[in-house]
Order: sequence, then C-alpha cells, then structure tokens
Amino acid sequence: MPFGNLRARNKKLVPPKLMITSMMDMFTIILIFLLFQFSEKPENIHMLEDIELPQSTAKMDHTETIKLVLTQKGLHINNDLIAGVRKGKVIGLDPQNPKASVLYQLLEKEYAKTVQKSDAKQPKEHILLLCDKRHSFKTINDIVKTAALAGYPNFQFGVLKE
Amino acid sequence: MSILRKGRRNSEEDTELNMIPIMNIFLVIIPFLLTSVSFFHIKAISTSVPVMADSTQVSAVPEKTKMTVIVEMLKGEMRLSATAEELDMEKLSQFEQVIKLQTTGVYPLMKLNEYLQSVKRTYPASDTLILIPDEAVRYDSIIQAMDAARNFNEQPLFPNVVLSGSLG
Repeated sequence: MPFGNLRARNKKLVPPKLMITSMMDMFTIILIFLLFQFSEKPENIHMLEDIELPQSTAKMDHTETIKLVLTQKGLHINNDLIAGVRKGKVIGLDPQNPKASVLYQLLEKEYAKTVQKSDAKQPKEHILLLCDKRHSFKTINDIVKTAALAGYPNFQFGVLKE
Repeated sequence: MSILRKGRRNSEEDTELNMIPIMNIFLVIIPFLLTSVSFFHIKAISTSVPVMADSTQVSAVPEKTKMTVIVEMLKGEMRLSATAEELDMEKLSQFEQVIKLQTTGVYPLMKLNEYLQSVKRTYPASDTLILIPDEAVRYDSIIQAMDAARNFNEQPLFPNVVLSGSLG
C-alpha cells in the first residue's frame, strides 16, 4: 500500500525547472568585469605575503626590468631570496663595504649582461623596488646606494594606487 | 483540436534555449579569470640617486632659471631650501624655511606643497627636488612627501625627485 501511494505521488511530481536566466545575467556581468580587469594591464607581479606597499597618487605604470622586493623578513631579487632582514638591517650588506654583498654582485652581473646586449656604455635601465612601507630610510638607503654603485642609479618605487 | 494543442506544445518546448553548455563554459572561465586577475593596481614613482656627472651649461636667462629645491626630513622638523647656479646667496636665503612637526612622524605636507607652489610660481622652469630623509623616517612618509612634491591638483610641480642620504 505505501508503495502504491508513492507511485501515485511520483506521477504527480513535475521535475522542477531551474530559472537560470538570472544566474546567466550575473555570470555575464562577472565575466565582463573580470575580462576588463584582465585586459587593463598584462602585469604579473608576484606579491609576497609579508609586504605592505605604501599608497600613492602616482599614475605611472611600471616598466619592469629588475625587480627588488624588500619585505619585513628578506630581500628578494626577481623573486629569489638573496638576504634576510633583521631589525631593519639587510643581513650581509655592510654600508661601509657594499661591494662585498650578494646584492651588489648580482646586480653587477646583470649590468654587465645588459651592457653586452645593448652595446651602450650606460644602459638606461632601472630597478623596480617594491618595499614594505614600515621600513626606515636607512634600510632603503643601503640598498639604493648599493644598486647605484652597481650601475643602477634610476629607480621606480612600486606603490599601490590610491 | 487535441492534435493542434499537441503541436503547439511541441513548438513551445523547442523554442527553449539550452543554457546548460553556456553555463558550463562560464563556470570554467570565471574561476580561471579569478585566479589570474589582479585586484591591486601597482603604479610606480620614478626617482634616482645622485651620481657623478659632467657639469652642464648654465642658462643665463632668468625666466629659464632652474631652481633645485632641497627638502630635509628630520626627526622634529622639515628644512626647506633651494639652490640655483644662477642665483646669489642672498636671493637663495629667501627660500630657506623650517617647518616644525606638530605630531611626531607626521610631516606637514600641505605646507611643503604651498612652499613648492611659491617656488614654482617664481621660477616656472624648476623641476627638480632633492629629498633628504633622516635615517629613521619611514618609507611611507617618503612616498607621501614625493606625492606632495610631484604635483598639485594635477599640475606638475617638481616631477624629478632625487632621493639622497644626508651627508652628516
């Protein structure tokens, strides 16, 4: 008896129709938004977790050549960790002898490569520096001076658009 | 009548679009785009550090005098001064100013902006500013000072900011 009742009930059941039109609308809007975001700039900056970039009114887009990232814990060059940072000081970077640091040696190599490629005595390349906003000028100055000594006096400071 | 009704019903069912494949495509595209989209828009501020260079020719025309403003960000104050090869010390001393900080670590950037506007009005060809922060000054404050120096209401003030360490 109960089975008979079920059958009779199933016959009456109409398969529910999903109203996917509204969902389609939503998806279309999201898709368009994402496509616009995607096409705005084909940049791919690998952001590390322990970095807080300062906000700025700057409107200029960066032109990436060599990327230096200074987080609270370390100094990275093109996504490779080259030195640690402790108490606002880059380990292994002596301001009195910057040429002995790994940073100088790597940048010097890069500079030599660029000179060979471009056939120019002084290539007009710069460094994109992404630096945590909590760092003091002393930490930045040591890095900036070392980079300038290696042949890169021009910088672009990476900031977040306000 | 019944045949007609059936036919009408069949034609109504045929007109329904099958949205499932489109939905499937959307479901694939959206997660892909979400993973590759950047929600942070990174911009850049160009700057340089002082380097040894050959001396350039000095223009003798007063209208073309290029004043270089020097901003020292110290612990308790902001020292402003200017230099130009064409001007004598007496004229240059008129541009010397010291702005005391009201709150520790918060630099009076509005006053700096006003000062830079006045310099720009007098010497419109000026475009270079040397920023000398104290060792303890935070990077965030340096960026804010650079913003204040670069432009005012979309008008360029001193777009060439040179970052330098203090010599003392």
